[in-house]
Amino acid sequence: MAAAPEPVEPEERKSLKLLGFLDVENTPCARHSILYGSLGSVVAGFGHFLFTSRIRRSCDVGVGGFILVTLGCWFHCRYNYAKQRIQERIAREEIKKKILYEGTHLDPERKHNGSSSN
Amino acid sequence: MAHAAQVGLQDATSPIMEELIIFHDHALMIIFLICFLVLYALFLTLTTKLTNTNISDAQEMETIWTILPAIILVLIALPSLRILYMTDEINDPSFTIKSIGHQWYWTYEYTDYGGLIFNSYMLPPLFLEPGDLRLLDVDNRVVLPVEAPVRMMITSQDVLHSWAVPTLGLKTDAIPGRLNQTTFTATRPGVYYGQCSEICGANHSFMPIVLELIPLKIFEMGPVFAL
Repeated sequence: MAAAPEPVEPEERKSLKLLGFLDVENTPCARHSILYGSLGSVVAGFGHFLFTSRIRRSCDVGVGGFILVTLGCWFHCRYNYAKQRIQERIAREEIKKKILYEGTHLDPERKHNGSSSN
Repeated sequence: MAHAAQVGLQDATSPIMEELIIFHDHALMIIFLICFLVLYALFLTLTTKLTNTNISDAQEMETIWTILPAIILVLIALPSLRILYMTDEINDPSFTIKSIGHQWYWTYEYTDYGGLIFNSYMLPPLFLEPGDLRLLDVDNRVVLPVEAPVRMMITSQDVLHSWAVPTLGLKTDAIPGRLNQTTFTATRPGVYYGQCSEICGANHSFMPIVLELIPLKIFEMGPVFAL
């Protein structure tokens, strides 16, 4: 009978560090923000160039666009990430409470049913 | 514990460390963008053909580069202060341990139940078993329960030491004649390592800290008191 395969630990993604210190692979929201920032930079810079034909100023607009879009995406994503963590924590605690108190007078479901019938 | 050549933070084992990692990521992203901007400005400075040395009265630019850094600093300071006050919260610890620094070992006192006191020396390389970690493993670990708030009272018997466990986000100075307090709640079982973090003599690098965090049910059965 073949032995069951040993469980393999999930591999940490190979880290890509921008400027040598920002780990975009393992930092939540970093990859998403940098990618959207790059897209925003290209759109803003190229769009400015199409309208003005000024190369240097378009590069400046591109860099400014990168910074603003990256920052905007970063805060938006981190805000949603924080909300998600709070919801996960609440769900985890409720599951723990449910397992711990099921069938007793402290059962959260019993309290909820009791209050709705009243 | 840290792996070889690790530069980043270790995985969090307490809620405070999770918050510190989140703050660290936030600050690092801001730093990255500032570095990017500075590198671009440097590149422009090095490649420009403009050589006007009589520029004056750039009021708008001066206003922007005064207000913008102030805003950036506020964006960093607010989460930082939030975590700072969070670390000072005392959330009714269920267990108190004293940690006393010596040259060059730690003494731990479990005086809540039974009055257990023991020393924790680094395992010399000759005494290591296969699988033991060189310069990190100790003869007697600090055994603690998971998911129970623990209070550590830290002091020193001789010179300055510092009791640090990176994965829990803890570093507290051990000062002779003073009792410092830190609290933590570990969220997952395991063995966690730290090292003395205040220069204290010849063997400062050879007085590690090892915490063994076990489920509360097993802790209550009293394995730590079987010494």
